[in-house]
Order: sequence, then structure tokens, then C-alpha cells
Amino acid sequence: MSDGPVKQMGAIDEVRLWDPLLRAFHWLLVLFVVTSWLLGKFGPDQMTLHFWSGYVVAGLLIFRLVWGFVGPPPARFSHFIRGPGAIAGYMRGMFLRQPSYWPGHNPLGALSVIAMLAALAAQITTGLISDPDDYINVGPLASYVSSATRSKAVGWHGLGSTLILLLVLIHVAVILFYRFWKHENLVKPMITGKKLIRRR
Amino acid sequence: MRLILTAAALATIPLAAIAQDDPIRNTIEARQGFYKMLAINMGTLAGMAKGDIEYDETGASLAAANIEALAGYDLPSLFLEGSASGEVDGTAALPDIWEDMDDFRAKFDGLREAAAGASTAVTGGAGNVGPVVGKLGGACKACHDDYREKG
Repeated sequence: MSDGPVKQMGAIDEVRLWDPLLRAFHWLLVLFVVTSWLLGKFGPDQMTLHFWSGYVVAGLLIFRLVWGFVGPPPARFSHFIRGPGAIAGYMRGMFLRQPSYWPGHNPLGALSVIAMLAALAAQITTGLISDPDDYINVGPLASYVSSATRSKAVGWHGLGSTLILLLVLIHVAVILFYRFWKHENLVKPMITGKKLIRRR
Repeated sequence: MRLILTAAALATIPLAAIAQDDPIRNTIEARQGFYKMLAINMGTLAGMAKGDIEYDETGASLAAANIEALAGYDLPSLFLEGSASGEVDGTAALPDIWEDMDDFRAKFDGLREAAAGASTAVTGGAGNVGPVVGKLGGACKACHDDYREKG
């Protein structure tokens, strides 16, 4: 395996890493997760916009799931979901003050990707089945679960919003860590699609 | 054996009597009955607003009048000290209610304001029910968000 920080030979090239659909997905997800979150906390009592924003997030997640199987290699789950060995190997070099030049989601970052996608999927599920007993913001699938479940789902949805906030804050903090500690800009590749990677 | 059973049965009688006289239990049952009545009438209006129930002016007006009447009751007086979730079982009333009883009362006043005039506002067509349900539902939400245990 060439995951360790030790083997760092190989030329550094700029390649087209993130395809246009994946980039569009990412920034739309940013927009609609933030919108959903803010509408949930501070929006109008009648949460119609929150609902619609949530449906968009659901659609984006479905796209990402499909893209994870049929998209270009860097988008595929099989490409970036790695075992504990690869994760440990990546972490050994993580604090070096040099860019990772990693071709895609690195093995540790993959965990973050999966955690965010899973948390959002769970959040959509609990939202769809929530019944806050206010007769105006009842999830469209609430009538398909027991009254105890649809009532509990409201609490889970609230906890979920905190979890998502935490995961997003970690995500942004790590981006900043790469930018200022490792001198690697990860935002620009997600905009232009192009990233410096080390050929291995 | 029969003696034991009889004794056991007799022993439960004073317990049942105590349970009925327990002011905390009474107050919880009373407010849950209140919410049940509110829910039945809200269900009628929300059903008509969504089209699940066929609109009829008399029925809508009656349901709204019931909600107006319920909103006139001094519900916060049923929130006795010691009847919070965590202190007793079978209630979703968060202790925060007692931390800020004035705000809790203000939230209930919000329902009263939302309900004011509802019985006439829902007349004249199914399209008039939605806005009333929206106002009432907003008052439900405002209080549930802060003072109702989730799940």
C-alpha cells in the first residue's frame, strides 16, 4: 500500500478530480442544508419552506447514493471507503505541514463524508414521520408510523439538527486545518474540479 | 389462597381511593383531557382545511367555537407544582414551564388570541379554514417547542 506519509515520491499533477455533477451536488447540499437548518430553527411557524427545502436535500442524497455507484471513480464509495489500516496509515501523516495531494476523499475524510450523508438521511427520515401535534407541520409519512413513533421522531429530529451542526462544524474546521496547517486548499477543487495530486 | 387474594383485593381499595384524590394525578388528567378536546376540534378543522373531511359550515364553526371556549379556560392553573415530567410519570410537561410560568402563560394567551373570532372566521367556505388552522397551529407549535417533552 502507498497510503503512508513515508512514500511520497511521484510527480505532482493538476488533474480533473471532481466532476461537475458532484460539485453541483456539494454546493446545492450546502445551500439547502443551511436553509433547512435555519428555517427549522428560526423560520415561520408554518414550516412549508422547511419541508420543501428538506425534500430538495432528500433528492440530493438520492443522487449522491446513485453517483456513489455509477459516478466517476473519485465519487464512488468503493473508491474512498477504506479499512482501519488505510485510515491509520493516512492519520500518521496527517499532521505534517505539507499538502496531502490526495486524489479524492482520503480514508479518514471518507468517514466524515459517510457520517454526514447518514446523518442527513436519518434527519430526512425523522422529519418525514414527525408529528409535533400542531396540525400544521405534520410530516407527510407520519400517518404510516405509530403515534408513539411519530411523537418521538420530533425529538430525534431536534437531536439530529444538533448532530448535523456538529458534523458541519467539524467539516469546516478540518478544511481550515488543511488550508492553514497543511497549506492545501480543498475548497477551490470543489469549485473548479481541479486538484493537485501526487501520482502513485 | 382465597384469603390472600381477598386481602390483596381489599388492600388495593384504599390505594385506588388515594389515587383519585391525588391532586397531582387529577391535574394531569384534567389537562390531558383538555388537550384531547382541543385535538378533536383541531382535527376537524385541519381535516377540512386539507380536504380530508368535507367542509360544512356549521361543523367548522362549531369546532372553532369549541376551541374558542377551551382557550377561555385558565389552563395554566392546572400546571400545579410537582406535576412536571421527571417528577411524576405520564406527563410531557417540561420543568421549564415552572421556571418561567409568565412565559408559559403568555404562550397560552397566544392560543387565546389565535382562537379569538375563529368561529366566524371559518364560515363562508373551506378556503377560510386553512388560515385559522395556521394561526392556531402556530400557537400550538410555539408552546410545544419550548415546553413539551419530545417523545
